[in-house]
Amino acid sequence: MKRAAILIALMFASGLAANRTLAVLQTHTNAAALISTTRPQVRLPGTIYVSQQGSIYAIAGTKVRRLALPSGGVWTQPRVLPDGSLLVIRRFDAYSDLYHVSASARVLSQMTSDDPSTTNRTLQLDHWVLWPSISPDGTEVYFATDAPKPAPNQSYEVDFSLWSAPLGGGFNIGGAGVSGGTRWSVPDIYTGGDIQPVPLPDGSVLYSSYANTGKGTVVTVLGLQTSPGSRMQALTTPQQDCGAPAVSPDGVTVAMVCTHLGQTAELEVATLSGNALGPLRVLVANCLCNSPSWSPTGDSLLYMNAADPDGNFGLWYIAGAGGLHHGAPRRVTDSSVDLDATSAAAWSSR
Amino acid sequence: MKTGRQRAARGSFVAAGFLVSIVTGVVLYFLPAIQVALRDTGQVNTSLGGTAQLKPVSASEHLSSTAPFTLLLLGSDSDSKFGGAYLTQSMILTRVDPATKHVTMLSIPRDLWVRLCNGGNGKIDQAFLHGGAQCAIQTVQRDLRVHIDYYAWIGLQGLVSVLNQLGGINVIANNPVMDDYYPADLSGGNPYDYQRILVLPGAQHMSGTLALEYVRARHDDAYGDFARSQRQQQILIALRAKTKHLSLADIPGLATSLGSNFQTNMSIGQVSGLLPIAGSVPLASITQVVLLPPYTSNAYVGGQDALLPNWSLIRAEVAKYFPAAS
Repeated sequence: MKRAAILIALMFASGLAANRTLAVLQTHTNAAALISTTRPQVRLPGTIYVSQQGSIYAIAGTKVRRLALPSGGVWTQPRVLPDGSLLVIRRFDAYSDLYHVSASARVLSQMTSDDPSTTNRTLQLDHWVLWPSISPDGTEVYFATDAPKPAPNQSYEVDFSLWSAPLGGGFNIGGAGVSGGTRWSVPDIYTGGDIQPVPLPDGSVLYSSYANTGKGTVVTVLGLQTSPGSRMQALTTPQQDCGAPAVSPDGVTVAMVCTHLGQTAELEVATLSGNALGPLRVLVANCLCNSPSWSPTGDSLLYMNAADPDGNFGLWYIAGAGGLHHGAPRRVTDSSVDLDATSAAAWSSR
Repeated sequence: MKTGRQRAARGSFVAAGFLVSIVTGVVLYFLPAIQVALRDTGQVNTSLGGTAQLKPVSASEHLSSTAPFTLLLLGSDSDSKFGGAYLTQSMILTRVDPATKHVTMLSIPRDLWVRLCNGGNGKIDQAFLHGGAQCAIQTVQRDLRVHIDYYAWIGLQGLVSVLNQLGGINVIANNPVMDDYYPADLSGGNPYDYQRILVLPGAQHMSGTLALEYVRARHDDAYGDFARSQRQQQILIALRAKTKHLSLADIPGLATSLGSNFQTNMSIGQVSGLLPIAGSVPLASITQVVLLPPYTSNAYVGGQDALLPNWSLIRAEVAKYFPAAS
């Protein structure tokens, strides 16, 4: 009797084992690890700010800490100011705002306010503000916003254009544009428009400009404007399809991501001389690269990439990226970490 | 004392007990897939309104490991607005050649003005509404002069669930995709509400919801439905990377996430047979076709905006990429 009971138990266990073995064989999609639970693979000087799952994290040496910013929304696209403080975007479902915060995560000012509870309840009157950057002298903030746009139910158009405004002065994003700001560009409509402004030491602005080819495609070129409203000069061709520009602090080398109209990308660099861009050199080919950014000294490059088509997006580093003899790409973050690849890292010397 | 025969009988009984237990464990594991297989795969769709009589579409018995085959991919908004009567917002005619590892995807614009399977004229997205997959297949076969071996239909909620089940996908978004009039129909609230969406450009990881926004948004787009078709093909290509890691053990989880948002005339064995084929196709061996002008032209027909086909150009293209031998 006892043997029979043992046999029945073993039979039941074998069925359970078969069931669980199949469950183990199933492809498991592990949730990405929070960067603060891992250690950087490469020790870099200064502090590097990255965005993951709605929070900003600071990598300093081998330590990672989360900036304790106010809860709610997605904090993304940090930019470092000369004094070590940060400009950060706080994105909600239907709008975003620009904040100035200290390195210790204290909110110094909310620079735009598109909270519907204080402005409007008409969805189409909300605005995006994204890709903030600082003029080399630290006095002006540049950004992309979808203001102005047609009144609700008049048109479907919603495209980004580039604006600048005094960093310390008040400005407001509304239906007519940015009061207190200066409009730089007028987008090619229904393309996404102009984004990712990079103010240069000579007062001009480099950016990604989306354009309708008229042949069934929308492509991006690197555009350069010498003054607000001036004609955009294309520095790359539509066939190269280059965007996400990052300019070294000395204003000499431009890093960018080009797809050459394919399904993969290349991380490339070129020398900027006046209004002309030199030949493009490939740093990383056949990648899922995005969001390059330079070190404070301009000798190293950070960027986001997934090591394989199905992998996590990590932070990668290339030493000497501006020179002919650059180092090999090295992954900074642990492979279990999946960062916001559309948010460039911001590297502070402090 | 037990005889040898008694021992053998008892041994057989014990072995049978173990076998039954193991089979039960396996069957229980695959139960969601079996339910989907019984309900949604191997469909022979003969339902059709009106007077037209159509031959049922039945799948080939075996998915050959070498012979090319055609697959019509259909996608529908499947939220509560439609009450089960679905148009097909997405129609992608696909040819897979396992021997050469080449895939061709041709997006059929949803506004293409064609002769439908029931004899009337209308936009091609109405074919599914009038007669399900059967009508969609027969309309495409007759109008594009192509043979279709299989079809697969997926509702948008099913697409979101499957992509989430797979852990999302990595995609290079071509440009900022923005829409201030995007339907807020999957959130469980008023399905006629709008929401604002913004998909940032460049390489990124997309959840099922973000991927859906990327392929579905169309209002602020220079090429409207054409651009959307290109993005839909892009998502299919990104999914290819996922299939490399899938095995038979993943089928129940996928079946559960699809729920009632999936139909096909392929058997579950054929569906799982597709996975290694899809995973082995190199990126360079994927041809993408979108029927922009001059293949189509804008027109106002039957009181609505539509696309008129240039059949001679379209059929030449179809004959080139989807030869009759397939």
